[in-house]
Amino acid sequence: MGSIEAEDLQLCQNDENDLQPFFVLHKASNQRIERKSGGKARRRIDLSSSVHDNLDKSDTGEADELEKLRNEAFDCVWSKIKSVIKDALRDINLDVFNEIDRWVHESFDAITSRGKPEFAKVTCSYPIVSDATSKQLFSGLVLTRNMEVVDDLLTFADLGQHLKSHGCHVANLSSSDFSPKNGISGSIRSLLRKFLMVTLDVADISALASWYAEPGNHGNPVVVIIEDLERCCGTVLSDFILMLSEWAVKLPILLILGVATTIDAPRNVLSSNALQCVLPRKFKLRSPSERLDSIIEAVLVRDCSGFNVGQKVATFLRNCFLRQDGTLSSIVRALKMSVIHHFSMEPLSFILKGLLDEDDRQVQFSWKHETLPEAMLSRALDLPSYTKNKLGEPNGEILEQGLLQLRRSQKLWSSVLLCLYEVGKHHKISLLDLYCEALDSELWDTRASDLHSVLDDKLKVPEDIMHMGGSIFQAIRKVRDSSPVALCQLLDSWEALSEGLTEIQEKVKELQCLSKIDDSKNVNRELTNISRRHTSRNYTHTERDAQALNVRAATLIGSMVRDYMQPMECIPFHEILCFKNVDKLQSNITGDPRRRIQADLLESYKFLKCSCCRVNCNTPLPSMHDTSIMYALAQEHGDLINLHDWYQSFKATICLSTKSKQRLKQSPSPKKRKSAVEPQAINGASLQARFCRAVMELQITGLLRMPSKRRPDYVQRVAFGL
Amino acid sequence: MSKDKTPQTTRRTTRLSASSPSLTNAVSTTSHSLTLRDLVFGGEILNADDLFSSLPGRRGVILELIRLLGPLNSKMIPLFLYGGISTGKTTTVLQIFRHLKRPFVYVSCRTCYSPRILFETILNQLLLHRKNEGNGYSSAKRCEKPADFVNHLRDALVNVINGLKEKTERSSSKKSVKWVKGNMIYLIIDNLEFVRDWDKSLSILPFLYKLYDLLKMPELGLIFISSASPDTYYSDTGYEEPIPLYFSDYTEEDLRQIFLRNQLNPKLYASFLDVVLKPFSRVTRRVDEISTAFSQLFKIYCEPLQDQTVVPNEEMKRRLFSHLQPHIAPSLNETFRVPSLCSENTANKDTFKRKVSGNKLGVPDISEEIDFHMSVCAKYLLISAFLASRNPATLDASLFDSTGGAATRKRKRKASEKSMEQKDIADQELLMKGPGTFPLERLLAIFQCITSVAEYSLEEEELGNGGSGGGAGDVGLMSDVLLQLSSLCSANFISKGSSCPLEGSTRYRCTVDENMVLKVARSMKFPLSKYLYRN
Repeated sequence: MGSIEAEDLQLCQNDENDLQPFFVLHKASNQRIERKSGGKARRRIDLSSSVHDNLDKSDTGEADELEKLRNEAFDCVWSKIKSVIKDALRDINLDVFNEIDRWVHESFDAITSRGKPEFAKVTCSYPIVSDATSKQLFSGLVLTRNMEVVDDLLTFADLGQHLKSHGCHVANLSSSDFSPKNGISGSIRSLLRKFLMVTLDVADISALASWYAEPGNHGNPVVVIIEDLERCCGTVLSDFILMLSEWAVKLPILLILGVATTIDAPRNVLSSNALQCVLPRKFKLRSPSERLDSIIEAVLVRDCSGFNVGQKVATFLRNCFLRQDGTLSSIVRALKMSVIHHFSMEPLSFILKGLLDEDDRQVQFSWKHETLPEAMLSRALDLPSYTKNKLGEPNGEILEQGLLQLRRSQKLWSSVLLCLYEVGKHHKISLLDLYCEALDSELWDTRASDLHSVLDDKLKVPEDIMHMGGSIFQAIRKVRDSSPVALCQLLDSWEALSEGLTEIQEKVKELQCLSKIDDSKNVNRELTNISRRHTSRNYTHTERDAQALNVRAATLIGSMVRDYMQPMECIPFHEILCFKNVDKLQSNITGDPRRRIQADLLESYKFLKCSCCRVNCNTPLPSMHDTSIMYALAQEHGDLINLHDWYQSFKATICLSTKSKQRLKQSPSPKKRKSAVEPQAINGASLQARFCRAVMELQITGLLRMPSKRRPDYVQRVAFGL
Repeated sequence: MSKDKTPQTTRRTTRLSASSPSLTNAVSTTSHSLTLRDLVFGGEILNADDLFSSLPGRRGVILELIRLLGPLNSKMIPLFLYGGISTGKTTTVLQIFRHLKRPFVYVSCRTCYSPRILFETILNQLLLHRKNEGNGYSSAKRCEKPADFVNHLRDALVNVINGLKEKTERSSSKKSVKWVKGNMIYLIIDNLEFVRDWDKSLSILPFLYKLYDLLKMPELGLIFISSASPDTYYSDTGYEEPIPLYFSDYTEEDLRQIFLRNQLNPKLYASFLDVVLKPFSRVTRRVDEISTAFSQLFKIYCEPLQDQTVVPNEEMKRRLFSHLQPHIAPSLNETFRVPSLCSENTANKDTFKRKVSGNKLGVPDISEEIDFHMSVCAKYLLISAFLASRNPATLDASLFDSTGGAATRKRKRKASEKSMEQKDIADQELLMKGPGTFPLERLLAIFQCITSVAEYSLEEEELGNGGSGGGAGDVGLMSDVLLQLSSLCSANFISKGSSCPLEGSTRYRCTVDENMVLKVARSMKFPLSKYLYRN
């Protein structure tokens, strides 16, 4: 659960990150401080404001009630999605975990067979092996197949739990335990802390041996999981491995090393002596795209919560994953953001909770349209998807019917999509691509006609359609090309997937019967073929039959795609379940912080909302914050700023007001500054201090570079581009 | 181990360990208290013949060592054993002590990586202290300074030696089974070369050498074991130099005997050694390196055999050799090989086939695509880092200029022969220096150049795909380059020179080989060769 929890935290932090640029600028302001109190509070404020906007502030009591409902619905939906994601991620690696577990126990048996140490010898200080090979440590290299390690922290925690439940002693270490700063003592210390549950003032590995000699601990494998090999300091890790190998056999330690990149990574990180002590074995986790597919399948396609995203949002998520970040955590975070936005923007979204409570099989809602307030109903009937294709008389009944229809068609859609995915699984067509394509309503319109032409033309697929259709067409084509055995399996899985949807299932069953007859025929024929000699002719016969079956299957899936795979966005009332606002999500995910900082510095009055600065916003005013004055002044310079000039103009700006008031007293010329009158001296010092502080702040935000030795009186502007 | 020993000594030991809260009677029978007997190697008795046969090629050294140790209860000058890694130093010493049945204390400076742990480990053994949960896994005595150590050590040694003396008196009168001989106790300090890397090595090393003089106890024997020769230690007069004893590298014949020990089918293994030992012994004489290589090769060697107990004849030997031959050369160069799982291979058959064909040739197959997920942004960044490391900075303008480098290249050809020569030398130098460093700004500039070109083609492609990626979902690649850069750094693809991050003057270096970058480029259809400068 760790990472999801961490994500929540991250999310909160993220919300605060958005606020931070203007926190820097803020001196005490009550209104803002209220807002500071965490992401959740902020969300609530957003919620209420949007509700008020939408309802024209009609009835605040009712609105509050509805807001509460929506908050509840959000909690329900998100907790459901969260648990589904967790299950999906756990299940997908289960077979690898079992494999690792088997390896652990096999290796442990191998260690004990090399010479089970006498009990007294476990703690003795001298090595009890003389054979060079038994000095080696069994090490499992677990390829996580993702350059980013964020996602795999959870995986390794799960792996640790899994091994623990199978009777191993497990310690999860990360690269921070192998830092050059703490050296070998740091890594031994954290190892001891994990196993012994005590912190010793001297981290001595012999304490671990003593611990292992205790009656409760003896006789089980000791597994040390190091999560991210690449990030570890090579020398420390090498020392660690060499030290453990000195205790080989006495302590049956097995290493599990998480490798993020290639299998060569240990060779690059470890010293050759340490490599000598490693007896490697390779394990592969599922690739991130497979994992993402399983999340998409569980959350969005299988429709666990009723919540859905529109085509543009899905495409955005896909692009994020492929191009930008590539971590599942960020995808899950984006998903959560879209859920939050959906519930905050769509007043009707509380209906989702009613859908969630229902059992999947019975398509009945626990709520009735009568319970819906008038304003809500009218809003529902104003939804663009409803007004576009009017179904009938606008009343509560129609909404209920519409939602039923929506659920039903969604079910059909997802089962057809899963049928396609079943094909794609064997041909490296990812669910993500299929999903994005299946959601596209424009494609849906064109596809209908295309498919007709393609299928009627006896599946002679014209070249230009191939790159028009993309992965769905590819999948259909794969059906046509698949072998009879694969086709049989495919039909079986299709039947299972169309459970409860009679119109599809019947057709699939029909095909299944055909294939079975075909099979038996084939067997018969082959038997007879052996006795007779007409092999070649008969073979072409059977081949042709099989071909016909393939064509029929392809036609079936083609017609399924055409008839049943109606994207959600074509169906009335989909706005209630479907989040489509990609711009909002995009602005949250790809935050462009540098640009933001610059913009905010130049337009600080927008946030401060003070009365003084708004008068003319283009020229810096003395009442503004020092840093924003400085940055505004810096705009007049090129990429090099003369510090003296800058200071002078800063001073001039600050003194603008005082000058106007005390013009008589002051001598404005900078050259006469030293001879300036006494009261100004204090002012000058504080002014310089303020100047320095502002320069520092600009440096910290990464907009400036400090003067170099070559040009001591110039600073360099680093970031440009607004 | 039953407690059939003299009651006196056991009482003594309990008195000794009474300072710690753990009590022997409190714990169950399995975790008994330590006795003097634990200072001896124990186990079965090893006679001289077994000693020699278990350590092939070390007969001379063993005899010399026994001579230096001297007869029972004779004073001995500290010894310094040295020799290459994996030449049997530790094993030989331990086996000799097992044979002689003399009590000893062993510490390895690898496990004891600081003076305090070293001191406390020695004292724990002498005080017969056992760490357990009851005493919070702590040592018997806290001891950090060498001066304290000398005092504690002296007390502990006196106690142990007295115990030993009583023991010998009793056993000589009783004539019971002698499990310990002599009143001497030996201190073996292994892996001494690691002490040189300690912070306080300058004071600790002379201290350890001086220990014998400091204690002035004739009953203590000191043995240092090191893989580095005594010349490499900081030498300081004022103490008696230990007697050096060199363990030479094994000869080929020694290796043969070592590997023939404990083999199920010596004849078969001998024929295997005939094939592999010669080439390997030319590369390395380290037993650990050779044995890991052999264990894998022997498996391959036995593959064609159904019955592993068979005695090979000439014809079979030839057949087995021809089976093994292609594997020998690659494994000579390999120190680290990862066997993949057989179940994984059968799971996806198409890769299995490829692997088999690769293995037949005896070369590890180089797959065409990268096996792990990287975002497109990270891939471009990696390519640009590679380009920045390989190409000289002065050529950036011509390579990434929209006009292309064609014009400049023509001019280059006209240059005189001498300048060409100079250029060649400079290029050679560049090659020898390895990948160059570059500042962040240059990396970002190249990144922007190549992405602006590539994005254009990417968009074209997507338009062809029916525009599925277009529209509002399109994400620019520039948004979190620095984040990607940091994850590339932590994946060891780019190394970062240490410098103040605020200054921005950090220099980076790409540490990826060309093969890998080529794979990355191929996965994105990026024309890497077009941008790579070659002479």
